[in-house]
Amino acid sequence: MKTRTKKIICWSAVALVIIALIVGIVLTDGLYQSEEEISEVMKDAVLHEENTINLFGLEVNPGLISAYAVTLILLVFALAVRIFALPRFKTVPGKFQLTIESVVGWFDRLAKTNSPHRNSFLGAYIFAAGSYIFVGTLFELTGVAVQATSGNSVALPAPLSDINGAIAMGFLSYFVILSGGIVSNGLRGVGRTLKDFSLPISMSFRLFGALLSGLLVTELVYYYIALSFVLPVIVGVLFTILHALIQTYVLVMLTSLFYGEVSEPYEKKPKKAKRKTSAAEQNKPL
Amino acid sequence: MPLNINWQQILLHLLNLVILAVGLYLILYKPVKKFMQKREDAYKEREEKTQAALDDAQAKQEEYSLRLAKVDEESAQKREEAAKEMAAVREQKLAEAGKQAEDIVDAARERAKKEHDRIINGVSEDIKSIVEEMTEKVVMTSSVSEAYDRFLDEAEKGSRSAHTGGKKKVTSMSKSTGKGARKRQ
Repeated sequence: MKTRTKKIICWSAVALVIIALIVGIVLTDGLYQSEEEISEVMKDAVLHEENTINLFGLEVNPGLISAYAVTLILLVFALAVRIFALPRFKTVPGKFQLTIESVVGWFDRLAKTNSPHRNSFLGAYIFAAGSYIFVGTLFELTGVAVQATSGNSVALPAPLSDINGAIAMGFLSYFVILSGGIVSNGLRGVGRTLKDFSLPISMSFRLFGALLSGLLVTELVYYYIALSFVLPVIVGVLFTILHALIQTYVLVMLTSLFYGEVSEPYEKKPKKAKRKTSAAEQNKPL
Repeated sequence: MPLNINWQQILLHLLNLVILAVGLYLILYKPVKKFMQKREDAYKEREEKTQAALDDAQAKQEEYSLRLAKVDEESAQKREEAAKEMAAVREQKLAEAGKQAEDIVDAARERAKKEHDRIINGVSEDIKSIVEEMTEKVVMTSSVSEAYDRFLDEAEKGSRSAHTGGKKKVTSMSKSTGKGARKRQ
């Protein structure tokens, strides 16, 4: 009965968050129309101000389109695995089953290792975040082109090379850590999490900086014809793969470490009885 | 906003991430983990069963070892008891045999004594009769022979003076007398 109530509460919370996000997106729609001038000033390819994409009437960065595309790819893949592969899973796994199990097991173990007290939710989150960062970073290799509102053709970048995507990921990770603190230790957990108030910013900008630097280097290499032979294979593919692995590892590791720290149950420290004992010893007659 | 930070797009990204997290959890992470957990449980159960069987076998082995030791002890005890019993029976039998032998010897002695007495008695009677007979004989033979010898001496004296023929007759008479005495003896 308790678990059922918990489930209902959890799903209600998830539904409320989704509704709140949708409401927020709708309400903030008209707020940034005046920002066009600043955007026009910062005509930087990295910031995607000129080349915005029309998404159901909203002008968004190409990074957001990449983010949705990556999510779609991941969900379709997960659905395919769920429908076609999972029912055929065997006790002794094949290559594909072993790969899936290894990935899931790796994130699960990471969560359990770094957060021994409360880790089932953390495991699910870092699995999703890790998959998103890895596949999102590799997504820029596909070079899928979309038409910008300006009429230019834009290759879809990595979702996290967009500052908004990186901030969203950083803040979401921070909220997950905060939730772990609240569930485990209540207000004490909130205090523990807020103590590291710079964490969302550092997480966001670490991701953004790492992905953006990769993007800039790649753009630079592709810009010169002389550098367009052989080198892009190393810079474009190997660096991207390395990037994907490193950034995935860094974010999930940091998230799980901080989550484990804040969700650790509070233990009362034993009272210092030194002074009393020493005073008693001094008062003892010789 | 600097750096093209757009709250609406951040929220859109957040929505995307939440959908992705929920979707991946429900569609992939949870079922795969459940499958792995189920397999792990099955292996654990199998391991527990194996361990239980091993423990059971170990316990049985110990029990049988104890039983064997007990049986050995019992058999040794019974062997000892049997040996003691055998020794007692042997002693008894030996005693019985000794007694029987003694009885037999006593009986034999008694019989021998009786026989001895009987023989002695029988012999004494015989001796008596023999002595009597011998005495009689001695008495008889000595008087007859003496008489006969006197007779013979007289006869010889008479014949020397008269005739030689009478000598022959005396000779034949003494011979026949001698033969008859021997037969009587």
